[in-house]
Amino acid sequence: MSEDLTRRGFARGTVLAVLAGGAAFLVKKANGQVVWQVNAARCINSRLGEVGVEACNLCTTECVVALSAVRAVNEYAKCGRCNICPAYFNITSAVNELGQPSEKLCPRDAIARKPIGKVDPEDPANNFYEYIIDEEKCDGCGKCVMKCKEPLGLGSITLRIRYDKCVNCNRCSIARACPQNALLQLPVGQAL
Amino acid sequence: MSRVPEALGRACVLLVLLAHSALAQAIPYQRPVDTAPQANSIGGGYKVPPVQKPLPRDYWLQVVDAVALSAAMGVSVWLVLKRRSRKWLTALTIGSLAYFGFYREGCICPIGSLQNVVVALADPKYSIPMLVTATFVLPLVVALYFGRAFCGGVCALGAIQELVVLKPVQVPRRLDRALGLLKYVYLGLAILFAVKPALTRDFLICRFDPFVGFFRRNGAPHMLILGGGFLVLGMFVGRPYCRYLCPYGGLLAWCTRLARRGVTVTPNKELDCGLCAEACPYGAIEKMRAVRRNCLYCARCYASCPCDGELAHAKAGLVDLPGAAS
Repeated sequence: MSEDLTRRGFARGTVLAVLAGGAAFLVKKANGQVVWQVNAARCINSRLGEVGVEACNLCTTECVVALSAVRAVNEYAKCGRCNICPAYFNITSAVNELGQPSEKLCPRDAIARKPIGKVDPEDPANNFYEYIIDEEKCDGCGKCVMKCKEPLGLGSITLRIRYDKCVNCNRCSIARACPQNALLQLPVGQAL
Repeated sequence: MSRVPEALGRACVLLVLLAHSALAQAIPYQRPVDTAPQANSIGGGYKVPPVQKPLPRDYWLQVVDAVALSAAMGVSVWLVLKRRSRKWLTALTIGSLAYFGFYREGCICPIGSLQNVVVALADPKYSIPMLVTATFVLPLVVALYFGRAFCGGVCALGAIQELVVLKPVQVPRRLDRALGLLKYVYLGLAILFAVKPALTRDFLICRFDPFVGFFRRNGAPHMLILGGGFLVLGMFVGRPYCRYLCPYGGLLAWCTRLARRGVTVTPNKELDCGLCAEACPYGAIEKMRAVRRNCLYCARCYASCPCDGELAHAKAGLVDLPGAAS
């Protein structure tokens, strides 16, 4: 009995030592957290030269998080603040009495359009408008990203990952599905 | 003869496609920033609104997770071995399910962390966060001393199954043993897929986790159906995923063989009623002895024991009733 106990104790000590050694090895080579990031130069929705293509919505359909952890983000400093924004309006829809396209592009109505300063009704083309994306509503379908580039847009909208929603899967299921290989894992310092 | 031109044609198409994609890749992403109106050209005191940049979970909050894991295991050991309280253990189970399951959305968990550890050992370039290492090691160390305290009341995957156990049947011993080998097959497969080179690597345990879809309130339909199936099966066969598939459970079972303490059932010559063996939904009591490697720390045996636990306390309370004495 006592021999059995000491033998078990020895085995336990050995396993503990192996675990501790392994943990020490892993901790030594650890170099911080990594997070997933969308490479805008590769993403078909945001990269230049992809015009007249249907927006890829794999970021919406493949993500394991409800609504998707990928959202469209408007870099406001780079936004043209256009009167008729091709990402806000569906510019192929019929023109209404205000002289604007009658339909919006976003299927979830996540973009808000707000005039900047005083609106001059005589000269609508010279007014600036602020386009604010409600990131709680956006599911990252990429329709607005696809439209906000040449020939009409300036490319201020890109798809980005909301790190408060992303659960940082070992193998991102969007990355597995993405035909452009646009999702990559980077150290947290480089990604933000 | 016609095959050669056809093949040539195909090769040309392929080349064109390749060139096209290479060109598309080569176009740098740049915006004609200068044409965007800036705050000073807009005037009127306009300020550019800030761009939302939600940050990942703070590092100290991740440390809190690891501390919570250790604390929950400590409480689990104390409740089962010292207090022998099924009631409080159920409370801990619900708490763990709420925190590690529904709040943390099933990430990070020790079960999945075993793949990260394997990858980190195999691939010198792979970086494993320290907390993942801690999450992997802590339950194993606890198992070396006290048995599978992690499985009872801490693991979110176990907790969701623990709470649906309704009318468990005793699985025939041989079938139980044979099915129990499946988890080692799964462990082997998970390791095999994890040690592959970076691009073809896959994390099977995370990908085929049957319950994480419920935790995230979102998931592929086939995985949700599989999870629902496991829960329905779990009403009659206690914790099927834990007993037959969980690869980390296999590692814990190995460590538990060396445990210093664990759930014990003391045979009593006068009262060998076997109620505990009947109460154990996991077939972990054999010949009136608790088999530690199968014991999932649920404390049902203690709760059902007429000599001990809540039943005995309830009886003692009955005797104390003033009306009962007369």
